[in-house]
Amino acid sequence: MRRSSWKAIASVLSQELVTTAALLLGVSLVVFLILYLAPGDPFAALLGGRNLSGAERDAAFDALGIPRTWYGQYLAWVGHVLQGDFGISMRSGQPVARELFSSGMNTLFLTVGSLIVTLGVAVPIAAYAAVQPASLRARAGILLVYLVSALPTFWLGYMLIYFFTRKLGLFPILSGSDETQEYSWLFALLPVVLLGLGNGALSEIVRYLREEISRVMSEEYVRTARAKGASVWRHAYKEALLLPVSQIIAAKMPFVLGGAIIVEQVFNWPGLGRIAWQAAQDRDYPVIMAITLLAALVVRLGSFMHRAVYVAVNPRASQQ
Amino acid sequence: MSATPLLRIEDLRTYFYSRVKHAFVRSVDGVDLEVMRGETLGIVGESGSGKSVTMLSAMGLVTAAPGVVTGKVTFNDEVPQDLLQGLEARVEIERRDGRIMRVAKDNPSWQKQVERNLAGVRGRKISMIFQNPKMALNPFETVGQQIAESVRLHTKLNSAAEAREKALYWLDQVRIDSPRLRYDNHPFGLSGGMSQRAMIAMALAAEPRMLIADEPTTGLDATIQARIVDLLDDLKNRLGMTMVLISHDIGVISRLSNRIAVMYGGRVMETGPTAQVLDEHAEGHPYTRALLASTPRPENVTATGRLPAIEGEVLDTINVPCGCRFHARCHRINDAVRARCEAVEPELFEIAPGRRIRCWLYAPQ
Ligand SMILES: Nc1ncnc2c1ncn2[C@@H]1O[C@H](COP(=O)(O)OP(=O)(O)OP(=O)(O)O)[C@@H](O)[C@H]1O
Ligand code: SF4
Ligand SMILES: [Mg+2]
Repeated sequence: MRRSSWKAIASVLSQELVTTAALLLGVSLVVFLILYLAPGDPFAALLGGRNLSGAERDAAFDALGIPRTWYGQYLAWVGHVLQGDFGISMRSGQPVARELFSSGMNTLFLTVGSLIVTLGVAVPIAAYAAVQPASLRARAGILLVYLVSALPTFWLGYMLIYFFTRKLGLFPILSGSDETQEYSWLFALLPVVLLGLGNGALSEIVRYLREEISRVMSEEYVRTARAKGASVWRHAYKEALLLPVSQIIAAKMPFVLGGAIIVEQVFNWPGLGRIAWQAAQDRDYPVIMAITLLAALVVRLGSFMHRAVYVAVNPRASQQ
Repeated sequence: MSATPLLRIEDLRTYFYSRVKHAFVRSVDGVDLEVMRGETLGIVGESGSGKSVTMLSAMGLVTAAPGVVTGKVTFNDEVPQDLLQGLEARVEIERRDGRIMRVAKDNPSWQKQVERNLAGVRGRKISMIFQNPKMALNPFETVGQQIAESVRLHTKLNSAAEAREKALYWLDQVRIDSPRLRYDNHPFGLSGGMSQRAMIAMALAAEPRMLIADEPTTGLDATIQARIVDLLDDLKNRLGMTMVLISHDIGVISRLSNRIAVMYGGRVMETGPTAQVLDEHAEGHPYTRALLASTPRPENVTATGRLPAIEGEVLDTINVPCGCRFHARCHRINDAVRARCEAVEPELFEIAPGRRIRCWLYAPQ
C-alpha cells in the first residue's frame, strides 16, 4: 500500500478515536441515567435489603466508599473503567471483564462468522448476476436469495435445526445448563449460518452489491482494462467490491449485533446477547453498563473500518 | 490493392435490443472495411452512425447483453485470425422480411468465446484509446502503474524496474512534461490533454500492430486538440503505425488519415483516398457532400453566424427505410434514379480503383 494511504488511515484513526471516546461517554451517561431513574435500588443487595432513612443511607455509603450523588457514582465508574476495571457482576460475583470476555468471543465468532456467510453467499451471486444478468443461473440465484430473505429468522432457525439434527443427525439437541454443554464445532456453525442467511438483509445486500458491480463494470476505465487485455476484476475490485463490502459491514453491524441476540436465544448460545438479556432481568448494573460500551464500540469499529478502506483505496481522499 | 489488409471487416452487423421500444436497433448494419498495413483509416459520420460500435464490436467490447454481433473480422497478423469466430453458433436470429423478430443468445458462452478469440489480440496487437481520457483511465491507480501494467502484460519486460523504465520512456515519447512526476500522478491530478497523452503512452507501451483511436481529441480544448493531433501525426510517422481514427471532426481526419470511410445509419456510404473524398468540388456521395458543407470552417459559416447543419433527422436505425438509407434527406436525388433510391439499397459501386460510393448516381451504366 502507498505511504500516503497509511498516513490517511492514521489520520482517520485519530479522528475516530476522539469521536468514539465522546460517543462512549455520551452513551454510558444516558444508560447510567436510565438505570438510575428506573424503579428499583441498585444498592439493595449491598445494603443487605434494609430499608434505610436518608441519613443512615448516606452513612452506609460513606462506610462502603460509595459516592452519595449519582454523578459522583458515574464519575467513579468512569474512573474505574479507565483503569480497565468494569466491576463485579452482581449475579455471578465474577469480574465483569472476565465474564464479558468469554461471551464476547462467542458473539464475535457468531457475528464475524455470519458476516462471512452473508458475504460468501451474496458476493458471488451478486457478481454473477451483474455480469450475466440474463442468464438462468443468475436468475435462480437471485430467486433463492429472495426466498431465504423472506423467511422469518426464527422459522428458518427451527427449520435448520430440524434439518441438520433430525435429517442429517449432525448436532446434539441441547438440553441442560449451558455451562456444562459441550459444543461441537459443527454445532457452532448452525447459528452462524442462520444469522448469516436469515437476518433479512441478504436480499438487500445482494441487490446493492449487484447494482454497484454492474455500475462499475460499465465504467469507462473498466472498458479500458478490457481493451488493454488486462484482468477486468483487477481493475474493478476496489470500486466494485472493497468499497461496497466495507460499506455493508459498517451499515449492517448494528443489525447483525441485534440479530445475534435473537439467535443466541434460539440456540442457547452463551454470547453477549444472552448475558445482556439476563443482566437486564437481574438488574445486573455493572454488566449492563459494560455491554452498552462494548456494543457502541463494535458499531464504531465498523464505521472506522469503512472509512479506513475508503481512504486507503481512494487516492483523492488520501492526498488531501 | 493486392496486398492483404491488416484488418478486414466483412458484413459486420451489431444489433442492440431496446427495451423501451421493444425493437432491435441496427447500430451497425453491414459494414465492410479494410485497413492496410501502415495506413491510417479515418472513419467519419454523424453522431450515432455506428462508428464507435463498429470498432468496439470488432474488438469484442460490445457489452450490452442482448446485443448480437455477426459478420467476419479478420486480423491478418502472422496467421489470419477471425475475431468473431464461433459466435454465430451461440446465437439464433429469427428474421421476417429482413427485420429481426427474435434473438436467442447464450450469453455466458458467447462471452467466453469472445474472450477466447481476443485474448492475445486486445491490448497486445490492437490497442485502443478513447474519448474522455480522464474517465478512461483507472482513477484508483497512478498513471505510471497503468502504463507499466501494459508493458508487463504485453512485452518481454517482466520485472517491475524494467517496466517502470519502459513506462517512463513512453511517457517521454508522448512528450508529457516531467514524466517522472507524472508517473506517480493519479488521473485526477492530470489535465485532459495530459490524460490523453498518458492513454496514448499506455496504448503504445504494448507495441501493438494497430491503434484504434475513437474520438481522441473530442472534448479537449481547441489548442490541446491541435497538440494531440500533432502528437499522433508524429508518432504515426515515426513508428509507421497502422491506425483507425474515428472522428466527426473533418479537420482531424484530413490531417491524419490516408483513406476515409464515411458512415451513415450503420453502413459505409463511401470510401476512398482522403483528398478525393474530402474534395468538395469533386464527385462524391451526396451525404458526404452535405457533411462537408456542414463542417465548421470559416467559409461555411452563414451570414447569421450559424453553421449549416445537414437537414433532416439522423436515421432511425430501428425502422431502416427501404432503398437508400439517405433518400429522405438527399438533395441530389433526381427522377432518373428516384425509383431505385426509394426501393433498392445501392451497393458500394467502385468508381475508380480504391474509390467506392454507395449511391445510384454512381451505378455503372
Ligand atoms: N450498449 C448499447 N446499447 C444499446 N444501443 C447502443 C449501445 N451502444 C451504442 N448504441 C447505439 O448504437 C448507435 C451507434 O452508436 P455509436 O456509438 O457507434 O455512434 P457513433 O457513430 O460513434 O457516434 P458518436 O459520434 O456520437 O460517438 C447509437 O444510436 C447508439 O444509441
Ligand atoms: S442513392 Fe439516391 S437517395 Fe441515396 S444518396 Fe444516391 S441519389 Fe441520394
Ligand atoms: Mg462514438
